[in-house]
Amino acid sequence: MEIKNVKKAVNKKPLGKKLWDSKTLIIMCLPAILFFIVFFYCPMPGAYIAFTNFNYKQGIFGSDFVGLDNFKFLLNSGSLWMLTRNTILYNLAFIVLGNVLQIIVAILLNEVKNNVFKKISQTIMFLPYFISAVLVGLLAFNILNYEFGFLTTIIQKLGGEPFSVYQTPKAWPVIIVLAQLWQQTGYGSIVYFAAICGIDQEMIEAAQVDGANVFAKIRYIILPSLKPTIIILFLFAIGGIMKGNFGLFYNLVGSSNATLWPYTDIVETYVYRTLMNNFNFPSASAVGLYQSLFGFVVVMFSNGIVRRIDKDYALF
Amino acid sequence: MKIKQDKFTTILHIFAYLLIGGFAISCLVPFLLMISASFSNETMINQTGIGLLPKGFTIAAYELIFKVPKMILGSYVVTIVMTVFGTVIGLFLIAMTGYCLQRRDFPFRNVISFFIYFTTLFSAGLAPTYLWITKYLHLKGSYLAVFLQLLMTPWLIVLMKNFAKSVPFEITESGKIDGAGDFKIFTALILPMLKPALATIGLFLALGYWNEWYNSMLYLSSSSSIKYYPLQYYLYRIITQAAALKNSLAGSNVNPGTIPTQSLKMATAVIATGPIILLYPFVQKYFISGITIGAVKG
Amino acid sequence: MKKLGKKILAAVLTATMTLSLAACGGSKQTSTDTNPSADSATNKTTNDGGLDTSKHVTVKFVVLGNRPTNGRLESMLKELNTVLTEKVNAELDLQYVEWADWQTQYNLLLASGDSSIDLITTATDWLDAWPNIKKGSFMPLTHDMIKTYAPNTYASVTSEEWEKCSYDGQIYLIPENHYTQYTNHGIFYRGDWAKEAGLSNINNFSDLGKYFQFVKDNKSNVIPWDVSGTAANGNALASGYVQSTTSNIVIDGVPIGLSSIYYGASKDDAYTVTSPYMEGTSFEDFAVLMKEWADAGYWREDVLNYDGDTRELFKAGASGADQHHTQTYVTDVRPNMDIKQPGSDTQMFSFSEPSKNLVKTSITHGCVAIGASSKNAERALMVYDLLRNDEECYRYINYGIEGSDYIINDSGELDRPDGWDQSIDALESNFWCGRNDELELPNARHYKGAADIYADYDTYAIDYPYGKFVFDNSKVSTQIAAMADVCANYIPRIAFGKVDDPKAMVAEFREKLKAAGYDEVLNEVQTQLNESK
Repeated sequence: MEIKNVKKAVNKKPLGKKLWDSKTLIIMCLPAILFFIVFFYCPMPGAYIAFTNFNYKQGIFGSDFVGLDNFKFLLNSGSLWMLTRNTILYNLAFIVLGNVLQIIVAILLNEVKNNVFKKISQTIMFLPYFISAVLVGLLAFNILNYEFGFLTTIIQKLGGEPFSVYQTPKAWPVIIVLAQLWQQTGYGSIVYFAAICGIDQEMIEAAQVDGANVFAKIRYIILPSLKPTIIILFLFAIGGIMKGNFGLFYNLVGSSNATLWPYTDIVETYVYRTLMNNFNFPSASAVGLYQSLFGFVVVMFSNGIVRRIDKDYALF
Repeated sequence: MKIKQDKFTTILHIFAYLLIGGFAISCLVPFLLMISASFSNETMINQTGIGLLPKGFTIAAYELIFKVPKMILGSYVVTIVMTVFGTVIGLFLIAMTGYCLQRRDFPFRNVISFFIYFTTLFSAGLAPTYLWITKYLHLKGSYLAVFLQLLMTPWLIVLMKNFAKSVPFEITESGKIDGAGDFKIFTALILPMLKPALATIGLFLALGYWNEWYNSMLYLSSSSSIKYYPLQYYLYRIITQAAALKNSLAGSNVNPGTIPTQSLKMATAVIATGPIILLYPFVQKYFISGITIGAVKG
Repeated sequence: MKKLGKKILAAVLTATMTLSLAACGGSKQTSTDTNPSADSATNKTTNDGGLDTSKHVTVKFVVLGNRPTNGRLESMLKELNTVLTEKVNAELDLQYVEWADWQTQYNLLLASGDSSIDLITTATDWLDAWPNIKKGSFMPLTHDMIKTYAPNTYASVTSEEWEKCSYDGQIYLIPENHYTQYTNHGIFYRGDWAKEAGLSNINNFSDLGKYFQFVKDNKSNVIPWDVSGTAANGNALASGYVQSTTSNIVIDGVPIGLSSIYYGASKDDAYTVTSPYMEGTSFEDFAVLMKEWADAGYWREDVLNYDGDTRELFKAGASGADQHHTQTYVTDVRPNMDIKQPGSDTQMFSFSEPSKNLVKTSITHGCVAIGASSKNAERALMVYDLLRNDEECYRYINYGIEGSDYIINDSGELDRPDGWDQSIDALESNFWCGRNDELELPNARHYKGAADIYADYDTYAIDYPYGKFVFDNSKVSTQIAAMADVCANYIPRIAFGKVDDPKAMVAEFREKLKAAGYDEVLNEVQTQLNESK
């Protein structure tokens, strides 16, 4: 009751008074506000560069306006389509496979009764989350490279013919997804594990007394109780459907192996390369702008749907 | 009461041990390969590939690194300084903002929250950001370009906001009654209650700083003012650039043509990664409990 | 304890606030900073007339290369700066653009418009000087200004040469016009192994293939050519093949990303624009041959993901070949191979040999320019004048400190102290934009056969025909950007044979390049080239 009154009182005040009354809180938020203005909002007008033939001397706003020319090439060359497809498919794979694996690991971890085993395996599974993308790239190169990679060693031991993974584009979706799962599963499963631990133990015991076997327990008690967590995580992930984990892709694939690009290029890697190798600021920005707008629409759309179904789950 | 295990349970348990154990091992193998390669003889690596155990055990690579450790030590100092200051400052600012944004009596909380959240929905993109930072802020070749950009993320602020919600509003009220200002309430009353949240978000921040290489690549490379790169970027250069590998050994009088390239890269990786991996078991407890609270409450 | 904690937090907060404010201050400053201070600098020159050196300044000089870490550079700079301080009250600081991704790093450095940069190494062929001039990266200079602040340099450049360094009536570049060198590319290989393989002299790609096969078959632990498949190496190889099989002459200053694909038809028909990448069979033959070489294992299977220091590996006997230009062969590779691999009899297969298609190194292969926002333009010119024309300074910047970096032997030649190893002890000051034959010491360590090589080149080399052509890309910049993307995607793969069907790949490459606007750019180049006649 009291809270409601406070809220009402706050809303009735004139703006000037509101500002004055909350000046300390505003000042406390100021560093963060400034931070986001300087590093996020200030560069935004610069996205205009996507519509120009940018030239250093004239600057972003002095360069000639060329309309949609930069987008036209991206569209004609098929780059936009390829990047959209790759980015979305990779993200879907990460979201679906990632969550499924995390849930499986969490459920199985819950079944493990040996505490030492549980602790140690949890610690080890968490380890990959702590290392940089650079190291992931190096570890992958150690395993996959043709000259002295671990994979080659194993294939040779088994009497097979080693092949160059770095020249086999079709292998890469698998490798990239595996690397992502390798790095994220331990971390992600903790969240689900926590949710499982939060389930009322009496409910489980009651079910077991009623003769439910372990599979029934998982199917009818554990999985339904994970539903809210799954939905929240899924929604968060959908928001980033057009964003990619640049570090992972860049370090795994390397910067000059064009053979793999049709299968490994995502928006982020394309933008980086266009900018850094070709100094092509307009094209890089055009793709970036497209990515932002597309992502924005996806978030709004999915949030709208969720809002209709169940307001509580909506992001905003 | 004790419930008798049926055969399904037994099967599932066996399966659980196998799968969890198998996955844990697969998490460990790449690290073992790296360590083994760092102790392997270069010629053996090139002839027979790397294995789980060192081939032709040698500590030559480590000897080379520690003969002229100046470069890697410099990188260590840069990274540690950035991580410590970045985590402390970032954590304080995030906590302060997160606290304010969940105060029910703060009329602008939604506006500011959306202002921050909006940056995850729409961003300028790499090219305009790069131009802004280099041409207008003049931060190319400055550690600040790396340091400042990692200070906060919208996601960590939202997370902190959720943590702060779990602190009863009555505490703020009681502070007000005692006549304390908002900043005082925050530092004296709220901050101590946010310890688990601070541990979790602090660790996220610290990981961000420790593993940073991307902004360094964009803003620090080829700058005469930068003598020592952050550790992970240093490692990146060693791995991807023959010249960087050669330079890392400058002054050791080693002939560049005879550098044990692969084992040296691995040894550098081991040295650059070691501390965070050794540190991790000690902080794991806080981290896990923090994620758990955040996720359940979130 | 609690109080202390609070104090620390407060201090941290204040510090952060100041930091954010500082960042904001930086942003405001830019409005005044975007206009290059070129004009004001020029004005000052004409007003003052005299040489005011009362204020001590540091001149920052951008050079290409990896900053050496052996300490020799610092010692040299200390000595040199004493002299420079005495003479013009200035000191020199070198900023390196590293070889890894150097094209990217160099262009980004200029794009960022760093106002602390005073002198910049540039070139109209390999460092895109013209496009950068048009982008406003360099400060325009007047004859008066150079005459006043770099009198010795001014006197040694003819007015015709100045014209080749000018754009829109203003001088932007100071050429390295008194230095003899050939910078045509080729492949270095070991003469001893070639002889074993029954090849007396390799002067075409098919013999080179035989040599690689021999190395592959007979030299264990040696990779025939342990190259890394970077875009730069791919472009060098592709253009090398084109040079060796056609009479086309590359037109500098029309960079398509990291590649140059527009050529003049031949020395007799220089003003017809074409592209060997699009026309004729040369590029297709190249693709097919490189695919064969890749399949035969002349370089690493993972070449596109491999990074190795090929030159050092060659010197260590682990690679059978290396690729670069004649100057590198004469001054570095040959002499050092003679020391490190005695009897290797290292030779160079110049790409120009089969076709006799060779353009002499232009005087703008090495130039210096003044940074557009330099605050010390006058002093930078004075320092440059000393580096280029003063014997003492010249020796410091090029050779180092006498006794430790170099010695002068009894016959007056430059030599190195005992135990000096170029791989470890090189000075690497990389002053490649003002070397001067008059002050250059004959080098006891350089390859003695250089004169013969030059004499041979001189029999067929021609002068660069497009010295006065400056391409204005403003009408076709989006097309060029799109083409750059295509080149980056296809050329390295084709060059290192990492394709399934080379002919199909070349066809695809050509199709994409056309779609990106190849013809429009060609027409634009042709039109502007005609106008420049």
